[in-house]
Amino acid sequence: MSINIWSILKFFAYVAIIMFFLFPIAWIFNMSFMTNDEILRKVPVLFYEPTFKNYIGLWEGEIAIEGFATMYVYFKQNLINSAILSVGSVSVTLLLGVPAAYAFARYKFKGGEDIAFTLLSFRFAPALLIILPLNLYFSEIGLYDSYFALIWVYQLITLPLLLWIVRGYFEDISPDIEYAYRLDGHSWFQSFWKISIPLAKPGIAAASLLCFIYAWNNFVFALILGSSQIQPVTVGALAFITASAIPYGLIACGIVVSVLPTLILALFIQKYLVQGLSLGAIKG
Amino acid sequence: MSHSKMKSAIDTFLKGKMSRRDLLIKAGKYGIGFAALTKLMGMQVTSALAAQDFDWKKHSGTTIKLLMNKHPYMDSMIAELDNFKALTGMNVEYDIFAEDVYFDKVTAALSSKSSEYDAFMTGAYMTWTYGPAGWCADLNDFIQDSNKTNPSYNWNDVVGNLRDACSWSGVAGDVPGAAGSKQWCMPWGFELNSVTYNMRYFEKAGMKPPGDLVEMTDQAEYFTKNAGSNEWSYGIGTRGSRSWATIHPGFMSAYANYGLVDFENNGGKLKAAMNSQASKDFHKQWVKMISSSGPANWSGYTWYEVGNDIGAGASAMIFDADILGYFFNGNPENKEAGNFGFHGFTPNPSASAPTPNVWIWSLAMSNFSKKKDAAWYWMQWCNGPENAMAGGVKHNQVNPVRESVWASGDFDDKIRGTSPGYMEQYNSSIDGSKIHFTAQPLFFETTTEWAAALQEMQTGSNVDETLDKLASKIDRMMKDVGLA
Amino acid sequence: MKINRKLFPYVLTLPALLVCVGILIPFFTAVYYSLQRYNLKMPHMKGFIWFDNYVNIFTDPSFWNTIRVSLTYTFFTIIIELLLGLGIALLLAKRTWLNNVLGVLLVLPLMIAPALASLIWRLLINPNFGVVNYILSFLGLEDFTWASHPDTVLFTLIMVDVWVFTPFIMILLLAGLRSLPRQPFEAAELDGVPEYYKFFRITLPMLFPFILTASLFRLLESIQQFDIIYALSQGGPGESSMVFQVSAYLQTFQYTNIGKAAAMMVVLWAICYFLCHVFVQQWHKLKIKTKGELLQ
Repeated sequence: MSINIWSILKFFAYVAIIMFFLFPIAWIFNMSFMTNDEILRKVPVLFYEPTFKNYIGLWEGEIAIEGFATMYVYFKQNLINSAILSVGSVSVTLLLGVPAAYAFARYKFKGGEDIAFTLLSFRFAPALLIILPLNLYFSEIGLYDSYFALIWVYQLITLPLLLWIVRGYFEDISPDIEYAYRLDGHSWFQSFWKISIPLAKPGIAAASLLCFIYAWNNFVFALILGSSQIQPVTVGALAFITASAIPYGLIACGIVVSVLPTLILALFIQKYLVQGLSLGAIKG
Repeated sequence: MSHSKMKSAIDTFLKGKMSRRDLLIKAGKYGIGFAALTKLMGMQVTSALAAQDFDWKKHSGTTIKLLMNKHPYMDSMIAELDNFKALTGMNVEYDIFAEDVYFDKVTAALSSKSSEYDAFMTGAYMTWTYGPAGWCADLNDFIQDSNKTNPSYNWNDVVGNLRDACSWSGVAGDVPGAAGSKQWCMPWGFELNSVTYNMRYFEKAGMKPPGDLVEMTDQAEYFTKNAGSNEWSYGIGTRGSRSWATIHPGFMSAYANYGLVDFENNGGKLKAAMNSQASKDFHKQWVKMISSSGPANWSGYTWYEVGNDIGAGASAMIFDADILGYFFNGNPENKEAGNFGFHGFTPNPSASAPTPNVWIWSLAMSNFSKKKDAAWYWMQWCNGPENAMAGGVKHNQVNPVRESVWASGDFDDKIRGTSPGYMEQYNSSIDGSKIHFTAQPLFFETTTEWAAALQEMQTGSNVDETLDKLASKIDRMMKDVGLA
Repeated sequence: MKINRKLFPYVLTLPALLVCVGILIPFFTAVYYSLQRYNLKMPHMKGFIWFDNYVNIFTDPSFWNTIRVSLTYTFFTIIIELLLGLGIALLLAKRTWLNNVLGVLLVLPLMIAPALASLIWRLLINPNFGVVNYILSFLGLEDFTWASHPDTVLFTLIMVDVWVFTPFIMILLLAGLRSLPRQPFEAAELDGVPEYYKFFRITLPMLFPFILTASLFRLLESIQQFDIIYALSQGGPGESSMVFQVSAYLQTFQYTNIGKAAAMMVVLWAICYFLCHVFVQQWHKLKIKTKGELLQ
C-alpha cells in the first residue's frame, strides 16, 4: 500500500517536472512553425497550418516581407562562429584543465590550494568589471575582433568550472589503482591516460557539456570584443528584432536551431554519464 | 535606343523640369518597368552628382567602416550603397548590431579610442555624452568647408529644429543649437510623438481620435472596459520600462504641451522641477490613464511591446513615435497592418498645437577615425538630398529630415497612399517639435530615475511624495557634478 | 619521469593559471578606476580620489537596497534550484529508458541562452498573448502581475532563473550520484537499513562535495545575474528588483560613470570572495570527513 502512494507521488513529480521544464520548450518548438500573426493572439491557436518560412528564411539569410522590406540575417555565419568559439574554448579548457584538476586532487603541494582558489576567483569578477579595460588593451595590441582573443577570454568562464568539477571526481578515485598500474612498469602519463581519465569520465563529460553550454551562450564578450563578423548566435538572434515587429516565430526558430548542436553533444555524452555507474564499484 | 531617350527624360526630371507623372508616362511609352526605372534613376543621380564641380573620386580606393544599428534606415542605406561606391570609388564596410545592444557597443568602441570605426549611428541625446567625452568630431568643420562638401549638399534643406537638436555647446542648460553649439551629429531620420489609432476599432466605438489628454483617458478607459467582448485588450499603449526611453516619447511630449519643464535653469545651475504643483497634477492625470487603461504589464513596455500590441490588435491606440505606427502599419505580417490612422495630438486643452518631443537617428563621425575626410564623403552622400529622396520614396527612410523630401509629390503620394492622416499629423506637429529636455550631462541618469518613479506611481505610490523624492534625488545628483 | 617530483604538480597546474593571469591586468586597471572620479562624459573632472567612490556607494541607501535584493535573489534561487535539482537527480538516478531521455531533455532550458530564454518568457507570461497566462486564467489567475508589480517581480525572476539553471545542478548531481561507490549501499541493503536512513546517512553525505561544487558555481552566477533580470524587469518596477549587475551595467554603459561602476563591482567581487572562501573551506572539511567515514 505504501509503495502505491510512493509511486503515485512519483508519477505526479514526473508530470510536474515535465510540465514546468518542458512545456515552454515544446511551445518554442511549436512557435517556430507559426507566423507572428498566429503567435500574437488573445486566445492561443492550437491548430494552424505549420509554415517552414522561418527555417527557410534563416537558412537563406534573406527574409522578404512582401511590399515592405527585405531583412537580412547572418545566422549561418553566427552558427559557425558559435561552433568555432565553443569547440575552441572547450578544447583548450580540457587540455589545460584536466591535468591541473588532477594535480589539485592528487598532490599536496605548496601554494596548491591558493592556485586553485585563484583560478576559481576569476569567476568572482563580473564580466562587466573587466570588459572595458579588456577592450581597451585588445584594441591596442590588435586582438580586437579575433577568434583567438575570444577563446582566450572564454577560458575565464570555462576553465574554473571544469577544474573544480573534475577535481572532485579525481579525488574520489583511489590512488591505489594508479600505483598498481604504474608498478607494472607504466609511466605516469600512461596511468593518467589509461586509468585516471577513464575513471573520471562522468565528471569530465558533465563538465565539458556545461563548459560547452556556457561558451555557447556567452553574449557580452563577443559583443564588445568583436565585429559583427564573429558574433555568435546569441547576439545574432537579437538582430531579428526590427523596428516593425518582434518576429517571435523567427526567434523561436533561431532558438531551436541554435540548441540542436548542444543537444546532439548532450546525447553523445549521455553514454559516458551512464557509464559512470557501471564503473562505480571499483571506486572509493 | 529607348534607354538613351529615357536617360534624357530622367535628366529633365532630375533638374526639376518634368513632373514625376510625366516621367512615368514616358517610361511606360518606352516599355520600362518601375523597377528598371528606379535603377536607371539611381545610376543617373549618381552621374548627375559625378558631373558636379566637385572631386568625388578624391578618396577612391579608401575603405571606411561604419558601426550601425539594425534599423530600416540602415536597410535603406545599404540598398543604395552601390551608387555611392560607383560615385566615389570608395569601399564601405559596416558592423550591424541589434538595437538592444547597439549603444553598449558604441560606448565600448569609442571609450577605447579605437580607430576601428569611422562613422556611426547615434541619437541626439547620446551625443550629450559622446560630445563632451571627445568622441565625436564637430561636423561644422566639414559642413562649412566648401572644399570638403559638394555644392548641392544644401545643409539648410534639413529641418531647422532637427539641425539645432543635433548640436549643443556642452554647457548644462544651454539650449541645443544656440550660439557656440557644436554639431555633434547630423539628422538622418526622426520621430515625432503623436497618436496612432486603430481606425477599425475607433469606428466600431463611434469615436474620433482624442482632442486632449482627458478625452484620451476617457476613450482608453472605454476600450479597456469593453475589452471582454471585443478583439482588443486595452485602450492606450505607451512605454513604461525602467529606462530613459519611457520618458522621451509620448510622456515628454504631453508634459511639454502643458508648458512644464524638467529643470529650472538659474544661470547654469539646474533645479529639478518635476515636483511643481502643475507637474504633480499632470503626473496624476497620466498615471490615472496608464493605470486604468494601459497594458497590464506596463512596466515592461518598450518600443517593441507598444508596437507589437497595436500591430496585433491588442491596443486601440498608442501615444508614441509616429514612425512606430508607420512601420507596424506597413509590415503586412502584423495582423492590423493597414488599419492605422495618424493624428497630431494636443494633450493640453488650452494649448493650440502639438509639441512633440523628437527622437533623431543621426550620423556622427568618430573623433578617432584616421579617415575623417573620406568618412565625411560617405556622410554627405548618405544624407544628401539625392539619397534622402531615394530613401524616402523607394525605401523606409521615414521620417525624412529634408524639407525637399516632404515637399516632393512622390513622397506625398506614397505616405498618403498608405497612412491616413500622417501628412496632416506631420504638418500640425513639426513646428512645435524639438527636444523638450534641458540639455545636461546627466540626461540618462535623471530620465531613468524619472521612469522608475513613474513605475512606482503606477503601482500605487503616492504621486506627490514620489515626485518630491524624485526631485530631491535629482538635485543631489546634480549637486554631485557641480550643477546645482 | 625525469621532472623533479616537487615541481611536477606545478608543471600540471601553471599553464592553466598563466592563461588566466593575462586577464589580471584589466582587473587591476578596473580596481584602479574604482579609486578615481572617472566619468567618461566629464573628462575635466577626472582625478584620483582614494576611496570616495566606496564611501559614496556605502552611504547611498539605494546601494543597500541593491545588496538586499541581490542576496535575496541569490538565496532563493540557490535553495530552490538545489532542492529541485537534487530531487530530479534522485528521481532520474535509476537507469530506465524514460530517465535517460529526460536526463537529456531536462538540460534543454540551460541550453537556451538566458537572454533569449527571457525574451520567450516575457511572451509566455504576457497578459495579452501569453499562453502561460492564458492557461492560468482558467485558475482565476489572469490578473497575476508577474514582473510588473513590486510584490511579484522577484517571484517571477526567480521562477525563470529556476527554470534555466536547475538543470545545471541536476547534471552535476546526476553525474555525482552515478559515480558513487556501491559498497556502502550494498552493505546497508544486507543490514536491512530503511530507505530514509540510507538517504540521510549514506547518499547525502557522499553527495555533499558535489552539492557544494554545484552551489558554489550557482552562487557566483546568481549573485551576478544580469540577462534574466535585465530582460524581464530592468531592475524595476521602481527599485524592487535592482541587483548588482543591473545597477553596475547602468552606471557603466548608460551613465558612463566608470569609477562608481568599478567600485560597485569590486564590492561584489569582495562579497564573492568571502562567500566562496567559506564554501571552499566547508568543501575541504567535508571531503576529509566523508573520506574518513567511508574508510572506517
